[in-house]
Amino acid sequence: MTPTPVILARDVIKTYFVNAQPVTALRGVSLAFGAGEYLAITGPSGSGKSTLLQLLGGLDLPTSGHLELMGTPIERLSDAQLADLRLQRVGFIFQRFHLMPVLSARENIELPLAEAGVRQAERTARAMDLLAYVGLTARADHRATQLSGGEMQRVAIARALANRPALILADEPTGELDARTGAQILELFDKLHADGTTLVVVTHDEHLAERAARRVHLLDGLVDRDEITRR
Amino acid sequence: MTWALVVRSLFRHPVRTALVVLGIAVAAALLLDMVMLSGGMERSFSRMLLSRGFQIRLSPKGTLPFDTEATIPGITPLLDRLHQDPDIAAAGPVVATSLHARVRDSLVTFVGYGIDPSNQGLYEVRSGKNLSSTDTTGLLISDPVAERTGWTVGDSVTLLGRLDPQSARAGAERMLVIRGVVRWLYDARGQRSLGANFRVIQQLGRFPDRDVASMVMIKVKADAAVDRVAARIGSLHPGIEVNSVAALVRQFRARLVYFQQLSLILATISLVVGVLLVGTILTITVNERAGEFAVLRAIGLRRARIVGLVMAEGAVLTVIGSILGTALGLVTARFLDRILTSFPGLPAAISFFVPAPDTTALAAFVILVAGVSAAAYPAYLAARAPIAQTLRADAE
Repeated sequence: MTPTPVILARDVIKTYFVNAQPVTALRGVSLAFGAGEYLAITGPSGSGKSTLLQLLGGLDLPTSGHLELMGTPIERLSDAQLADLRLQRVGFIFQRFHLMPVLSARENIELPLAEAGVRQAERTARAMDLLAYVGLTARADHRATQLSGGEMQRVAIARALANRPALILADEPTGELDARTGAQILELFDKLHADGTTLVVVTHDEHLAERAARRVHLLDGLVDRDEITRR
Repeated sequence: MTWALVVRSLFRHPVRTALVVLGIAVAAALLLDMVMLSGGMERSFSRMLLSRGFQIRLSPKGTLPFDTEATIPGITPLLDRLHQDPDIAAAGPVVATSLHARVRDSLVTFVGYGIDPSNQGLYEVRSGKNLSSTDTTGLLISDPVAERTGWTVGDSVTLLGRLDPQSARAGAERMLVIRGVVRWLYDARGQRSLGANFRVIQQLGRFPDRDVASMVMIKVKADAAVDRVAARIGSLHPGIEVNSVAALVRQFRARLVYFQQLSLILATISLVVGVLLVGTILTITVNERAGEFAVLRAIGLRRARIVGLVMAEGAVLTVIGSILGTALGLVTARFLDRILTSFPGLPAAISFFVPAPDTTALAAFVILVAGVSAAAYPAYLAARAPIAQTLRADAE
């Protein structure tokens, strides 16, 4: 029996409006991948990479087509069910980190745990474990604004891992970092992958794309190439 | 966690937040003052009238207590009948007239009250002792009298009555001994009043040969029987004005209706100002932090939680503003009360702003509800913003 794919997209079309003009970002994308995969989505600007990532994470709904996350068709979910899906099953990493600036590193990681109803002592312990995992134990009580770019991105990765999601989605995770810091983040992604995390990374970064086991190249809202790059 | 996020988000712009809190405090203070003002005079008036527990006033027909010109005739038989009423605990007559005394080289004028010391609701003894009902040589004075004349307890003084203003000659004269210093409950601030037994003052007054009084105060044994007793006296003595304190308060309230409407309008304006302040600042905040709210939703917070966060910010602003506003309102009420109660002729016991736990709590509750409600629209904006579109816009 074939295991249920983590993501299953069939003929996904996404049109949105800019100044009342329709813009079709995805024009019929079909894609499937399973647990533990490390997938890089590449393509030029405007090819629909980020839009696809947002649809895969349930941040938006396709205009047409079919999209399943962990076997659940997302178009059938209510807003609250989608929020729960994002909370429990998906972790997001953004290009600009998007930490809450008024919270400490530990509190940022605790935020999704608190939302999931994890008790204080347990979530503090989990946050500290994750800070150790990303090598930032010493910065636990520093406000997000007191951290460097690389540190913020590592905290964002720890936050994405907080509720042990089945899928991590990263949008240009090294886009705001210098080469050395970016390399540290790539090593962290390798570690995540080695630990069995399913990773989908949207990137312009060739180094990152090369490290992924599979690369999906988008062009004008369509899958141009879908290739296995490493086994 | 939620509260840490709420409070720290608010204090990200400390000056802006402080100004908004100050604005809410001023609005809350004005609201509290207006709530106190709208009910304060009535409350204070009622408290003053009931301060000695006399619930009914009899006065000459067509007058309200306390008119010194008009009189109730046939006071002795009237009092006899009242004392025989099983529902009545006490009935005390009051007669008022102008009296004079020579103090050093000048002639000083006083208000003289004739009372029945064992059935009186007009004063409280502050020092010395009260008169007995049979004391025909004793006199009670007030602090303003003592200050003006230098008289003290034990002094003998000569009072002049029915003074002819042309010749400055008195129609009656009597030497009395000061037994005590009292506070006259209905006197204006600084009013110089003194009192003696009813017949003593009656003899010094305008109608020494007539059996009249200016007013009768009645204490009914059971509060529940007050209206019934008042109605019975009214039907038995149609020539006398009979008013219960409740009826007097109703008349007072009717005269204050414009005052209360003004208070209500000002209170509403202050409430609207508070709502606009909270609504405006939170709308600005939500627009500035649209990306943050989108991220919170992206990481799994439900719309209801976002609404709760923004409403909580409104609540925190309003609670702090209300606490400051309550303190500010109480201080300004005291200051304004001092100004208003210094108007000449007002009983000193009347207050315009009467702080009471229920009105203070009501004002705080109303401003809190208004403040939280004001957060509803920005909360809706924060929760309804499309996540993907907001993140896209934030990235550009």
